Amino acid sequence: MSYATEIRGPLVLGNKKLSQVSEDIISPIDSRPGKWWFIAMFVASLMLVYGAYALYITLTVGIGTWNVNNSVAWGWDIINFVWWIGIGHAGTAFSIFLLLLRQTWRTSINRAAEAMTVAAVICAALFPLIHMGRPWLFFYIAPYPNTRGPLWVNYNSPLFWDFMAISAYLLISASFWYLGMIPDFATIRDKTSSRIKKMVYGILSFGWTGSSREWIRYESVGFVLGGIAAVLVVSVHSIVSTDFASSVIPGWHTTLFPPYFVVGAIFSGFAMVMTLMILIRKIYKFQDYVTYGHLDAIARILVFVSLIMGTAYLTEIFLAWYSGNEYEGFLLFRSRITGPYAYEFWAMFICNALIPQLFWSKRIRNNLTLAFIISLFINVGMWYERFNIIVTSLSRTYLPSVWVSYHPTYIEVGLYLGTMGLFSTFVLLFFRFVPMIAIHEVKSVLKHNEREHGMGELKNGDQ
Amino acid sequence: MKTLNKSIIGVFGTEESMMDALCRLMAESFEPAEIYSPYPVHEALRALNRRSKISWASWFYGFFGGLAVLAFLYYTAVIDWPLDYGGKPFNAFPSFITVTLVLIILIVTIFTLLTFSVRSKIYPFKKAVIVDSRATNDKFIMVFDADKVNRDQLLVSLQEAGAEEIIEK
Repeated sequence: MSYATEIRGPLVLGNKKLSQVSEDIISPIDSRPGKWWFIAMFVASLMLVYGAYALYITLTVGIGTWNVNNSVAWGWDIINFVWWIGIGHAGTAFSIFLLLLRQTWRTSINRAAEAMTVAAVICAALFPLIHMGRPWLFFYIAPYPNTRGPLWVNYNSPLFWDFMAISAYLLISASFWYLGMIPDFATIRDKTSSRIKKMVYGILSFGWTGSSREWIRYESVGFVLGGIAAVLVVSVHSIVSTDFASSVIPGWHTTLFPPYFVVGAIFSGFAMVMTLMILIRKIYKFQDYVTYGHLDAIARILVFVSLIMGTAYLTEIFLAWYSGNEYEGFLLFRSRITGPYAYEFWAMFICNALIPQLFWSKRIRNNLTLAFIISLFINVGMWYERFNIIVTSLSRTYLPSVWVSYHPTYIEVGLYLGTMGLFSTFVLLFFRFVPMIAIHEVKSVLKHNEREHGMGELKNGDQ
Repeated sequence: MKTLNKSIIGVFGTEESMMDALCRLMAESFEPAEIYSPYPVHEALRALNRRSKISWASWFYGFFGGLAVLAFLYYTAVIDWPLDYGGKPFNAFPSFITVTLVLIILIVTIFTLLTFSVRSKIYPFKKAVIVDSRATNDKFIMVFDADKVNRDQLLVSLQEAGAEEIIEK
């Protein structure tokens, strides 16, 4: 079942024994967190408080507290929704595509990527919910027998598809994440000496024992969920893109959108995985598990996806010219490339299509400080991409009389920062209470190490 | 797994030693009642002929779930309360595909997880029946039903097969 490739270096360094793997990965849970954790938690809580205040104002006063208007009806809320949903694609893409492709190098990274996915999708789901204006009536979008006819929902609408897809995606990615953690919770339960931890992780591990009957079904469920969630990864962001593409707004009405959005989502998600894994590696000294080889593989994927992104941007420009459509042409050449939103366009283009090209250089791929900075640039660039798509298209449409410029209010900024706080809080709690690396999966690749490389042998400058 | 009243347990330190012992013991007609390991050992699962029909069950859920979703969409959009959306037919099948696909995935996920929970008896608050707590850490545990084997012969065979420890419970 395991796919071994000789071109990759050892997946785990340091001549680890099985018990050492458990101890290394569980040690952050068993020990008191460092001062940095409390400082980070404090900052995240501050952002969360600001977000809670913004949410309170939004709910009590209404979305009139935002700067969205008749022309720019979608502002930071939908920008941030698409941005978070994109980030939320990496975990599942990482785990599932690489699981289905039997890529054993995913084992050190998939857990953190999946955690990130769940947190990001929760953040994403908040925005369309509050943009409804009366979020307490959100259940109107679900097709259920009601006293209004019953009036069923519009199955032709991508907005309805979106609701279904994101709900399903959240449930499946959370299930997939939790399923992966069950054997590791059992490991903590059986290793810890603390009675409270034994009880808590005992409950969380659902009575797991590691028997052959459990393993065979466990793997079977993993592949089934992986197989169907792979379809969902592609469909969720395709559906998000049809929210735009099925309209007749210049810059949105294009068949390029579904693949462009899916690839963009994977791009931003992988960049966030890189950001997070470099931090985890550094803070928790997981150099033996998250090796240069792992980060090198992510960087290679990023440089490849960056080329696709660049091609998509150029395709948009080319089609605006080639189609002869004056509105498309005006949007691309007078609103984006030049014009009032040129800064945002070029920020997007440089961050997403040009800067990641630095990853062609092996020296840069292996310089983790630079790799960390580049991954941040990609995250920023992908935010600007969503800004470009939404604000530039809406602010200058067909009639100059409805042209407006758009800037967020402090409430919109607060909501965004609030989701940043929520995401950071979730990730910090994940660092503290959950094994950050899939213990049982890493153990299963140790034998691959031994067979292919001799356990613990250093290669290609790994350290 | 059913609870064994009397068991003979062989503890192995590595996957390889456990697999060598398993082949050897099975050749001597000692088939373990269960094997516990920190990660799935596929060779052992094959040797013990462990199979799962969960993927078939999932297919079943997906197929019938899909039919149920399409029937629901048809009933609500065509029979119960038809609405004209921009002149599209009430049975706007291409528009139904996306929702059907997503709901099939949702149905398969929920029912597959429930099946896994029921078949493997894995559920919240279940108290684990732990044969040896090291099985989730670094040891490979082979459990034999003492009532079904020749005890003395098995003990000798386990020792010769390289068991680090032999425990009788």
